[in-house]
Amino acid sequence: MIRDITLGQYYPGNSWIHKLDARIKIIWTFVYIISLFIIQDFWGYIIIVANLVLIIGISGVPLKFIMKGLKPIFFIILFTFTINMFMTKGTPLFHIWFLTITKEGLYNAIFMGIRLVLLIIGSSMLTLATKPINLTDGIEKLLSPWQKFGLPSHELAMMMTIALRFIPTLLEETDKIMKAQMARGADFESGNIINRAKSLIPLLVPLFISAFRIAQDLAMAMEARCYRGGHNRTRMNEMKLHRRDAVAVFFMLVFLGLVIVQAQGLFTMIPGLM
Amino acid sequence: MPYESAALTDISFDIAKGEFVGIIGHTGSGKSTLIQHLNGLLKPKSGTILIDGTDITDKNITMRDIRRKIGLVFQYPEYQLFEETVHKDVSFGPLNLGLSQEETDQRVKEAIGLVGLDYSEISERSPFELSGGQKRRVAIAGVIAMKPDVLILDEPTAGLDPKAHADILSMVETVHQKEGNSIILVSHNMADIARLADKVLVMERGRLTISGTPSEVFAQADLLESFGLGLPPAAALMRELQAKGIPVSTDILTVEAAEEELYRLLAI
Amino acid sequence: MKNTKFLIQSAVIAAVYTALTLLLMPFSYGFLQIRVSEALTILPFFTPAAIPGLFVGCLLSNLLGPYGFADMVFGSAATLIAAMGSYMLKRIPIMVPLPPVLANGIVIGAMLYFVYGVQIPLYASILWVSAGELVACYGLGYPLLRYLKKYKNIFELH
Repeated sequence: MIRDITLGQYYPGNSWIHKLDARIKIIWTFVYIISLFIIQDFWGYIIIVANLVLIIGISGVPLKFIMKGLKPIFFIILFTFTINMFMTKGTPLFHIWFLTITKEGLYNAIFMGIRLVLLIIGSSMLTLATKPINLTDGIEKLLSPWQKFGLPSHELAMMMTIALRFIPTLLEETDKIMKAQMARGADFESGNIINRAKSLIPLLVPLFISAFRIAQDLAMAMEARCYRGGHNRTRMNEMKLHRRDAVAVFFMLVFLGLVIVQAQGLFTMIPGLM
Repeated sequence: MPYESAALTDISFDIAKGEFVGIIGHTGSGKSTLIQHLNGLLKPKSGTILIDGTDITDKNITMRDIRRKIGLVFQYPEYQLFEETVHKDVSFGPLNLGLSQEETDQRVKEAIGLVGLDYSEISERSPFELSGGQKRRVAIAGVIAMKPDVLILDEPTAGLDPKAHADILSMVETVHQKEGNSIILVSHNMADIARLADKVLVMERGRLTISGTPSEVFAQADLLESFGLGLPPAAALMRELQAKGIPVSTDILTVEAAEEELYRLLAI
Repeated sequence: MKNTKFLIQSAVIAAVYTALTLLLMPFSYGFLQIRVSEALTILPFFTPAAIPGLFVGCLLSNLLGPYGFADMVFGSAATLIAAMGSYMLKRIPIMVPLPPVLANGIVIGAMLYFVYGVQIPLYASILWVSAGELVACYGLGYPLLRYLKKYKNIFELH
């Protein structure tokens, strides 16, 4: 069971997208999401989809893989779609049972549904094409200007890095503890809420004890190597911006521009285009 | 602790009631995977596992029934301790099986005694304040208290010093004698296996390669070597002496037998 | 040494939170996952290292899991606020699970309404999420807190 969980969504590759600086990709994801909310009609989605297709194409991540990532969200998408379809007030189209589907409801459901799907695919491209460790470095770098205002960005980034390093270890520990307790008759799967809570104790207590034991050892090791926190600390691989990052920023601005223009309805003003 | 990713193929064996079986094989050979199949933690893609005539791969079998019959002690079992007191922790298994508090209390007392600890001294203490060796015994007691027909132990002496190692093994022997159950011992220690096992199973790359009595298995030294396995020290010594032209019997597994053979040879 | 210990404690809490979330994700339709993580929101009762720990854990869970950017930003923010609240309320154990119920209820309820565009009234969305959180935090988290109290010393920073 544990072996089926690949840590994170990262799909290894050497594409131009993969090589982009993590900070640029994070910012791009923000821009992408914001533009999804700027778009007001279906035509706007064309720009977004074109962008997304381009990115997916360059990254080389197989479509099948991306779709697999959608599976867990499927229910939420379905749920949102259904709620929107039945709950929006307006001119009725059909009646099913005691529920009414309105024209507005249908439009809303599809519009929001597409937005949701694009939101998730777009933001998953970030984690698909960026190694978790690069992501945490990127977040640290992006947050570091705020250190002057008291945000402990180095410490946060350090926590993320250490946590990342330990998650596989802890997953193994959890697996072992679960199996050991199951061999003693523990049942983690059935029962009501109260029972499930109780059944977690034989799992969580040994897990925390193991985890903190590891923490103690690590703290000693770091101290022994003169770790003193982020002050004046350098790194082995400094994050450098390359020309491709500038190219990416350019495209990002073009994309954003197009989105804003479209949303303002300015395209309709160009005769012959609509 | 590396987990075995080897799949298992073509495994078939029988264990008689009360038998003491040893499973040997280098890391990655599939030992852990195999024993997890035996108590239902893993399910085989094909094949059946019959325990006392009941097929545990059957869909209608409940986990409880399996756990009643098969007990599994993992490596470093002390990491599974979690309760406030030793008594409560050892009670965990029996209570999960649905036993009454009275019966559980009785079993807990027995089990703690069987593992060589003093019940009155230890039962109300927190398992976390015990020594490593004591913790391990408590953990094993937790499984013994479930009175399984088959007790599987995965390297119960891992990480222990020689004295503790010997103590744990003699404890396993005691349990075997007193409870009369079948024991499956997974171990890297050939001397222990040679001394205690009635039957030995050799795992290699997910397959069961040789099986037989310790004499039969350890007679195939070259084959074992190709699997990355050694011989019990006594047997290895005899083999080496033989190779040097000294006429000793190689059907020797234990230190005592080696001693006798050497005395015989030196005509003392 | 104390600072390093604090840092690592937080990292470990983050790792445990993420490990458990990732582990139980396949079993869930999005619901059980929320529940186990919610049980851990009582940790600030035991150590302030849980405040950044839970925050980072939530960040990482969303980074490594499939739920999307919005969840990461809003969910983590809500977790951080909740953890601070829980820490401040630690003198009154029964109140400790309350901040996550409120914070997540409001933030995630609002997120569902504004970001995901779910067409039920805002207050209904908030109530719905809060209800789920209530069950999870008090149903799972509170018993966990009561129980873990006996093992307080594992959280001590020597």
